[in-house]
Amino acid sequence: MKPKKKKVNYIVYLLVLPAMIFLSAFTFYPFLKAIYLSFFATNNMGQPGKFVGFQYYSKIFASPEFRDTIATTFTFALLVGVGTFCLAMFFAFLSLKNEKGAKAYQTMFALPMALSSVPISAIALYILGRNGLLNELLGTENAWLSSADTALYAVAAVTIWAGVGSSYIFLLVGFRNVDESLVESSIIDGAGYVRRFFKIYVPIASPQIFFVVFLTILHSFKSFAIIKLLTGGENGTNVLVYALYNDAFKRGRFSYACIYALVLSLLIFLVTRLQFIFEKRAVHYQ
Amino acid sequence: MNENEYTAVEIEKLRKKGHAAKQRRKALSYAIRVVIGICFISPLLMGVLFSFVPSDYLNDLPSMATIMQNFTLENYQKLFASIPVLRYVSNSLVLCLVIISIQIIVSCLAAYAFSMFRFPGKDLLFTLILIAMMIPGQVTTITNYLTINNAGLTNTYIGLCLPYFVGGTAIFMFRQFFLQLPRELKEASVIDGCSDMKFLFKVGLPMAVPTIASLAIYIFIDIYNMYFWPMLVATDQKMYTVQIGMSMLVSSNATEYGKVLAGAVISIIIPLVAFVIGQSYLIKGMTAGAVKG
Repeated sequence: MKPKKKKVNYIVYLLVLPAMIFLSAFTFYPFLKAIYLSFFATNNMGQPGKFVGFQYYSKIFASPEFRDTIATTFTFALLVGVGTFCLAMFFAFLSLKNEKGAKAYQTMFALPMALSSVPISAIALYILGRNGLLNELLGTENAWLSSADTALYAVAAVTIWAGVGSSYIFLLVGFRNVDESLVESSIIDGAGYVRRFFKIYVPIASPQIFFVVFLTILHSFKSFAIIKLLTGGENGTNVLVYALYNDAFKRGRFSYACIYALVLSLLIFLVTRLQFIFEKRAVHYQ
Repeated sequence: MNENEYTAVEIEKLRKKGHAAKQRRKALSYAIRVVIGICFISPLLMGVLFSFVPSDYLNDLPSMATIMQNFTLENYQKLFASIPVLRYVSNSLVLCLVIISIQIIVSCLAAYAFSMFRFPGKDLLFTLILIAMMIPGQVTTITNYLTINNAGLTNTYIGLCLPYFVGGTAIFMFRQFFLQLPRELKEASVIDGCSDMKFLFKVGLPMAVPTIASLAIYIFIDIYNMYFWPMLVATDQKMYTVQIGMSMLVSSNATEYGKVLAGAVISIIIPLVAFVIGQSYLIKGMTAGAVKG
């Protein structure tokens, strides 16, 4: 197909060059530097001093704090994952019909994804505070965010609210792939709305559904702003990203933070691999 | 014939009746959906509404009457008097503008090379980009901060922007755009004596305008709402972005709810408008290349 195959236009390297430079400087280099720093004692400016090998690794992995952090990270991912998925499915279920004016409720379902964590947290603090709206409505006096029993659930709820929009949109796109004629024939066959949803829409949108599950899990691993603003990592909400921030910028322990960062990337890598494997096996692309 | 007419009228009546019932059901199901939507965004609506109520009334749930009687711009006046809101907004906008333009140029050039040419090392370079996309920003934040800090670039626009000059999503979207261009288009331009770069600027880019719009909105909302990075790099109040400025308000003014909510509303307005206007573009940007099928 390409007769002049041998002639390479060297301008292509120039095209790729800027992207490669920026990726090298701000993705690869910092990643490798994190690995490097994890083997050194650092001062509070992050400059490496004495080589300590795996000393910090063994220290961290043996500490109960680390185990707590990992447990919290997974619990949080589970809460956010299940919650976001169910809510997104519910909203998508309500949005099957491509009716006139559907855009009104579709926009509302997706809206919080346009909002930053900061205003969301500001409103959440007002609602969830001790004198907040939720207690007022329930007639209780729970300190939702400063009690270890409820803080993680409260933060997860806010995170779900903030993030459900993108999952919902992916599901919606999947449902739009469903052939109109298939739906019409199922109506003639007497299939109700719920039945149609589970027997036609869900199977056809399975790639999107599957994608959304992993997207949410990966997303929850990266949550930071809402946790920082609502609880400051206290009361059982110390997830990995918060822990790495805390170690680097509050305690000046950059090596610890780098190890946390590496654990986080390992986690994300594993989940992505899992997604890839399942995608190949389980999801049937048409 | 008379009888026939009679039946026709009767049928028409029945049809209308059934139609009306169906219309009613439709309207009801629509109303339910809208109400669920409103309930879902009620925290936001409440936040906006309460930002017009003096803080004194916000310690308890104010009744609608209280809200109406005490409706005021006081919170906003206090907000603008105590912090340089416009400065924060303009910082955020500068950041968005610079990042959007550079990210789009850099990613477009790279995607053009990867989708329209064959060259030695192409697979290796593309694999590198895929790997880079798998490394989450949170992981590189600390070491990037050290780099920026050592270079003395904290509290500068360049320091705030630098790590965002290339984006995986942007490369992928442009790649998808170029791949779906008909091959004949490129071949015809080559025959007409159009150079590779000329093809990109004269033929490719004008056709890529919808793709660019999608990306611009996607990147805009992302960068405008960014928190972790500017929190570290912008420590001088003059360099605060909207989100950082407002987050300071959240942590310091916890008792003055009205002012905090006013700040929240200010920080929401621009991305919200961008979202509502550019929704379809945004959705296209988000979903492009993410899922096959």
